[in-house]
Amino acid sequence: MKTKAGALNQGLIRCHDCGILSQLNTHSCPVCASHLHARLPHSLQRTAALVISGYTLYLPANLFPIMTVTRLGTGEPHTIVGGIFALIDSDMVPVALLVLVASILVPVIKLLGLTLLLLSVHFRLPINARFWTIIYRIIAFVGRWSMLDIFMITILVSLVNLGGVAQVIAGPAATAFASVVVLTMFAATSFDPRLIWDNPNAYD
Amino acid sequence: MALAACPECDLLLNRHQAVVGEKAHCPRCGYLLQRPTKQSVERTLALSIAGLILIFPANLLPLVGIKILGNSHDGTLWSGVFTLFSEGMWAVAILVFLSSMCFPMLNILLSLFVSFHLHFKKPSKYLSVWLRWLQHLEEWAMLEVYMLGIIVACVKLASMAEVQFGLGLYAFIALIIINGMLTSNLDGYLFWQQVRQLNKTHEN
Repeated sequence: MKTKAGALNQGLIRCHDCGILSQLNTHSCPVCASHLHARLPHSLQRTAALVISGYTLYLPANLFPIMTVTRLGTGEPHTIVGGIFALIDSDMVPVALLVLVASILVPVIKLLGLTLLLLSVHFRLPINARFWTIIYRIIAFVGRWSMLDIFMITILVSLVNLGGVAQVIAGPAATAFASVVVLTMFAATSFDPRLIWDNPNAYD
Repeated sequence: MALAACPECDLLLNRHQAVVGEKAHCPRCGYLLQRPTKQSVERTLALSIAGLILIFPANLLPLVGIKILGNSHDGTLWSGVFTLFSEGMWAVAILVFLSSMCFPMLNILLSLFVSFHLHFKKPSKYLSVWLRWLQHLEEWAMLEVYMLGIIVACVKLASMAEVQFGLGLYAFIALIIINGMLTSNLDGYLFWQQVRQLNKTHEN
């Protein structure tokens, strides 16, 4: 009953950009001239490729130092986790929690959530479509907040630039981490949530 | 009343025109279809002009400065990008440049163009292109994430240096508020409707 309610089953395609409905065999939108697709093209393949790249880069992002803080000549490299421990050591637990959520939990939850979404669509698992649509919405919303760590490093690098007295230098993990954020954001936009509802075994 | 489809679950809907103060949700997946706002076009025009003015002090004036052992140092949005670039972190530098300077500026310019043309009823063949880009670029402008980055960086610096807030920071905060109002004010459904009508009357 519920699959019949979809616009595609009635022979209609929704334009991704302006939302106007067109007949199934139309190629470009009559209003905004963008290409029409019933679903985002190769949604599963693209999302899977981006998610796998995200997992791969997540390792160097956490293993390599994200920045090196030099004070009066002695420097020590920090990883993302090390930065959080440094914040806890200096009694700034709320800020440490903020960084923990933004740079550790959010990327992991995004990658795992997208993986589960991909698996459930591909294997047509009997899932609650409404619940997983909400999960998708959360994944798409929180993604950008992971950039927090990158922006923080940008500020530290430009401010603490006093030669021998004190200096912060960005490390190789910054590039890897920024790539994880961008890849997962692209992964979330290339996943078409309507595929959750196309699954005949899903219920709402 | 017009036929429409939910962008996230493809449910075919009979759309009624929603009134200001109402919210139109998809009955199946709960997606927010439309939240009409009072004078959406006029307010978007006003807010984007305000944003355009604020962008200059926010980008050019120092946001935060520090003082360590008598050495003081100011940081602007641009100096962070520049320092990262000169350290060889060009990928991160480009990403920070795009998400904190380029895309916020483009967003404001695009909403200015679109609302200007809609308000003064000037048809343009680029209207749908601008509106489409505006929709796609929205999530890549990350001023509010940058603000959180500034806060975390200041907390980290507070133990080793004296932190001073610059004039640019106030312009930056104002810009974030304007940007948030701009996003919540822009009624995408209404804008596409008006673009459609404007181009149709122009053709006849």
